[in-house]
Parts: sequence; C-alpha cells; structure tokens
Amino acid sequence: MEGTLELDGLSRRFGSLVALDNLSFSVGSGRVTGFLGPNGAGKTTTMRAIFGLTELDHGSVRWDGAPVDASARRRFGYMPEERGLYPGMLVGEQLRYLGRLHGMHDREAASAAARWLDRFALSDRAKSKVESLSHGNQQRVQLAAALVHDPDLLVLDEPLAGLDPTGIDAIGEVLTEQAHAGRCVLFSSHQLDLVEKLCEVVVIIDHGRVVASGDVDELERSGTSRLIVRVEGDREGRWAEGLAGVEVSRVTGGAVRLVLHRGVDSTMVLDAARASGRVLEFGFQRRTLSEVFREAVHA
Amino acid sequence: MKAVVYVLAVVIVGLALLRRFRAGRRAPAPLAPGHVTAALARLGQRARGPLDRRRPLGDTGLVAAREIRERLRGRFFRVITLLLLAVVAAAIVIPTLPSSSRPVARIGVVGSLSGAEEGAIRTVLGHARLGAQFSSEPDLRAARAALRAHQLTVAVDHEERLLVRTPVGAGASTTQAVAATAIASALGTAHAFRAAQLSPAQASIVARSRPLPISSVVARRSGAARGTSIIGLVFIFILLTQYLTWTLVGVMEEKSSRVVEVLLATVRPVQLLGGKVLGIGVVALLQAGLVVAFALVLGAAVGSNVLQGAAPTTVAASLVWLVLAYAFYSWVFAAAGSMVERQDQAQSLTLPLSVPIIVGYVVALVNSGPNPTSLFMKVLAYLPPTAPFGMPLLVAKGEVTWWEFLVAALLSIASTLVLARFAATVYQRAVLRTGRRLHLREVVGAGHAG
Repeated sequence: MEGTLELDGLSRRFGSLVALDNLSFSVGSGRVTGFLGPNGAGKTTTMRAIFGLTELDHGSVRWDGAPVDASARRRFGYMPEERGLYPGMLVGEQLRYLGRLHGMHDREAASAAARWLDRFALSDRAKSKVESLSHGNQQRVQLAAALVHDPDLLVLDEPLAGLDPTGIDAIGEVLTEQAHAGRCVLFSSHQLDLVEKLCEVVVIIDHGRVVASGDVDELERSGTSRLIVRVEGDREGRWAEGLAGVEVSRVTGGAVRLVLHRGVDSTMVLDAARASGRVLEFGFQRRTLSEVFREAVHA
Repeated sequence: MKAVVYVLAVVIVGLALLRRFRAGRRAPAPLAPGHVTAALARLGQRARGPLDRRRPLGDTGLVAAREIRERLRGRFFRVITLLLLAVVAAAIVIPTLPSSSRPVARIGVVGSLSGAEEGAIRTVLGHARLGAQFSSEPDLRAARAALRAHQLTVAVDHEERLLVRTPVGAGASTTQAVAATAIASALGTAHAFRAAQLSPAQASIVARSRPLPISSVVARRSGAARGTSIIGLVFIFILLTQYLTWTLVGVMEEKSSRVVEVLLATVRPVQLLGGKVLGIGVVALLQAGLVVAFALVLGAAVGSNVLQGAAPTTVAASLVWLVLAYAFYSWVFAAAGSMVERQDQAQSLTLPLSVPIIVGYVVALVNSGPNPTSLFMKVLAYLPPTAPFGMPLLVAKGEVTWWEFLVAALLSIASTLVLARFAATVYQRAVLRTGRRLHLREVVGAGHAG
C-alpha cells in the first residue's frame, strides 16, 4: 500500500499567468501532508495536474518512481475544491458507481459504499438524493466518494471548508486514520490551526513555487522565536508599540506576541513591560504554523 | 424485399465497423494518441489492462449503463413515451373508424320528377358519397325561401333549371357544389335521352355505361407508404430533438455540478463522452422500438393500412436514419453542452444547432405529397445533416435505389467519425473551464484546457 508521490519541475502557464513555476515536492505515505498557499498560488492546478486534468508545459508526476498513468490514477482518491456529485442521484448508488469506475466489482463497490456511509452515520440516507442532504452531509458523501475504492493516495482540496466543528473532527479523524494505515494523504486548507493539528508535514507554495516545506515541528522551531509578554491590567499591549527592533505579531487576551529583530536585547523589552505594570508572563515560544506561512509568503 | 436489402446494407456496414473496432482493441498502439478513431477503438479497453468480460465496454459501458438507468427512471421519459404511444394510436385507429353519417343532399322539387330521373340522381349522388332526400315544394317562391333558410341543398324547377343558395365555383367541394353539379349533369343527360327519343330500354343501356379501365406502365405508389413516411418524419424529429437536448443538458449538468472533475480524475474524456452518447442513444432506440412495435401490433389489430404496401421499407429506413441522425448530431450537442453552464446559455445554443434539423424536416414535409420530389430535397437527402429526413421520404416515394441509400448512409457515418473527433477535442478543452460561456473560437484556438 505504501508509495510516494513525486512532483518534479511542474510548470504551467495560462496566457501571461504563471500558475506553476518549476514546482517540485514529494508526498510520503503514513503522514498527513498539508498543502498550503494563498489564493491563486497554484494549489488547485497542482492537484489537477496529479490527475491529468490540466496539461503541463513541463515536468512530470510520478507514483512510486513511475509516471502516473490511468492505471495508477484508479488507485487515487480525489476531492476537488468545487464539490462534484450528481445532485439527483441516490447517495448509495452514486458511491457504488464511483467505486466501479475505479475498477471495483459491483458487489465490492456496494459493500464499500455501505461501509463508508455507516462510518459517516449516513446509512439511513443511502436512498436519498444528494441534493436533499445538508451541506455537511454532502461533504461527507464527497469524502466517501474519494475513499470508496480504498485508494493509495488521497488528494483533497479544501475538505474542511464550510464544516461545523463536529464535521471537522469526523473528517480529520478519517484523514489521520488513513495516513496511519500507510496511505499518502495530501490536503489543502486555509484553516491553518486545523492543518497544524492534523498534519505532520506541510508544503507551502506561492506564485507556483515551493517557498517552504518540511516537518511542521521543524518549521515551527526554525526561524525567529516569539517573545510572549503579559502585563497586568493591559489588554491591548500598547506599551510594546514603538519599541525599536520589536514587531507586535499578535495580541490575544492581553498576551502580546513579539518578534524581536536580530540584535535586540530582550531585557530592553522586559524593562518596557515593567514600566507599564506588573509582568505576569515573559518567555519565548516557537513560531506557529500561521507565522511560518505568513513569513514564507511575505504576507 | 427492398426493406431486406436496406437492412442488409446497413448490417454489412455495421459489421465492417465492428470488425475495425475489435481490431483497434486488439492492437491500439499504431493509432496516433488523441485520434478519435483510436479513442473510439479503445473505448472498450480498461485502463488496467486486458478486457474485463463482465464489463465488455469498460468504463464507457459503466457510464452508458448509469445514463440508461437514470433516464429510464425519470418521469420525463415515461410521460414522453406515453404521449408518443397515444399519438401513434390516434394516427392508426382514427382513420379506420367508420364514418358515423354521410352527408345528405336535400332536394326540393317544384313540379315533379320521373322515377327514372330520381333514380339517376340517387345514383350520381351515391358515386359522390352523398345521400339524397327529396321533398316537394308548392312553388318556386317557397323553394327559394327554403334554400335561403338552409332547409334545402338544391331546388329543381320543373326540370328546367337548378337553384342553389350561393354561386357554385369551379372545383368547389362543398355538399351543395358537388350535389348541384352531379344533379345538373344527371338531369341534362335525361333531357338528352328524351330529345333523342330513346326507348326506356335504350336509355337504360346508355345510363349503365362504364368508363374503360386505365392501366399505367409504372406501378402506383401506395398512399400508405407516404402516410408512414410522414409519421416517420414527425417521429424522427420529435425523438431527435428530445434526445439531443438530453445530451446537451446532461453534459452541461455534469459540468455545472462539477461532478465531471471527479469523473475525469479516473475516466478519459472520450470514454465519458462516448458513454453518455451511447447511453442516451440506447434509450432513444428502446423508445423508438417500443413505439414501432406498438404501432405494428395495433395496426394489425385494427386492420390499419398505415403499415401495409411499401410502408415496412419506410419504417425500416426511418429507424436506420433515426440511429444515424442521433449518432451524427449527438457529438455536436455534447460538445456544445461542454461550453455552457446554465439553462439559458444552453437554450441560446440549441436553436442554431437545430437549424439543419428544422430545415430538413420542413423541406421533407413539403415534399411528402404525391407530386415528384424537388431537386432541392433530393440534394438534401445526401447531405448528412438533412439526410435523416430526406432519405426515408425518397424511400417511401420509391425514388431511390438501395445503393443510393447506402451511399447516403456511408456519407453520414464518415461525417460522424470526423465530427466525433472534433467534438471530443472541444469537450476535453472546454468541460473543466468554468465560470462563463465559452465560444468555439476560443476553445479551438486555446490548444488546451485551463
């Protein structure tokens, strides 16, 4: 079941717009890989390229060292950004049909469809039309459609968008489970706190190029640490404004998160805080994924 | 006999294509990538490897099966089928119903008529499918009043002249005109017999004269064949427009619901397009077969002449051309469906695409009378977009030989292959480009999908 997806030097241009610019990265099995980037960075084009849905000007997509062909794609599961199911078709039949298109026998596909509907607590909606389901349930069916044939690689474009916390937990649990079962899981999202929670590896792209990638833990440890200071009675952290070489990253519940430029002495900051009131908290923390992302794309 | 020849000709062409299809499946490599002939030949091959005997048409078959299942399940299909059956039943049964009453000419007589004269009038009116009812009018004035009051059809004034309410035009076919013309002729002849002083026996011999039989050197075409061809034209037109609209809207819905992106992640565009065209085509053929079978059974049961004479040949020709027409146009409508996302956009495309269908249909209907077919219609009968209407008509009128029929069918099949290649390219480039209606020029000029 284990395999590796490799994207090697992908380039794609739409007229004057460069969608992919020599993009290269790989996705290993057994871990959930987050695929991040601002809008228009090239995430959807990359995912489409994996499935041959967009032609490439240069580069290649490989699975286990071999170029991806129709046979390999049958073992991939895909959930596009713009959800796609037949609105008027019955849920159970739809999953069965998609399973068969991925090479399953009819009985096998029917059994897998029933299993996934049961997993998402939708067994009683098997004979409902997709259009009659709520947004969250349609999202679950869409994920079931990507999973029904037990794929080796899962590529999900914004699978958590628009879901309530229960839906996010349910889908997040499935993604983690799939990765732990030895599958490759690549998913994109703008909800960085969720990505941080679910992913062990991230790839961040901007303007069609990889700008950061690697283990989430390592990326967060790298770069400038954040200084967290909390002063009694101060909710807005105005005391930190105007300090030379100090940038206020975020103020949450009175805790001021500061980025200290190279050469700035943290005792200078402590003195400024003390001058404002009693210091309740003062210590360094590693970067969050959100900060890693912002710095990578210069947002 | 001719029906057998036509069907044999089409079967031979079909077998030749099937052989080519199988050959392509066994050895797909030499065909250029992207070439539709290659793509069509490979439709049956699963991407994983050798042919799966349980799925002889592979993914194309799966797509087609889904299409058939969903269409047959739809309420629209059932309603249209019932409507077609009702129309066919009406067209077959109504002409066989006996006429409840035949029109009667009411003849007022001022003075009197002899028994022979009354008999002659009844005979000539009988030939004109009119009954005769005589009444005696006291005088001319009363007869005029009765005519004005629509109580009389004709008044005979002392064997001298006939009176009618309004002037009788030449060639008029009203009861008054037919009755007046026939009675005037009968009474005129009676006057001539009297003037010639013929004995009653001689007059009777002359009155029983019969026209000589007329024989033609070319057999007269059955009116039933033309009647069948008209029904066939209407039938092809209705089914064609219905199923082509399904194809266009079906492709558009897959695009607008974005399900096409999920499908194309595992199925090649030509397989998806081919499956849809095949599935809807099978449904069309099922419906057409059902209606024709119903018509044959009903026609035999009520003794209708609609399917007698040359009509079976016309039925066979109509079915063959329904299939060829669907095969030709379905690719065009499917490609058009891939360029739009909304119903209003689809409607704006449907009309221009339907123009050749409408032209072929109208010109064929105009030429469906007993007069010889126009040269224009004969030319249209060989052009693939209009042949589905022209060729069955020429068959019905006996104005085409089997090899001419075959030439037109081959032209249509060849054009369909070229069109399918073009349509597959358009579909592939357009179906994933969402957000607005695309124009053919930008799709063809784009080179590849965005």
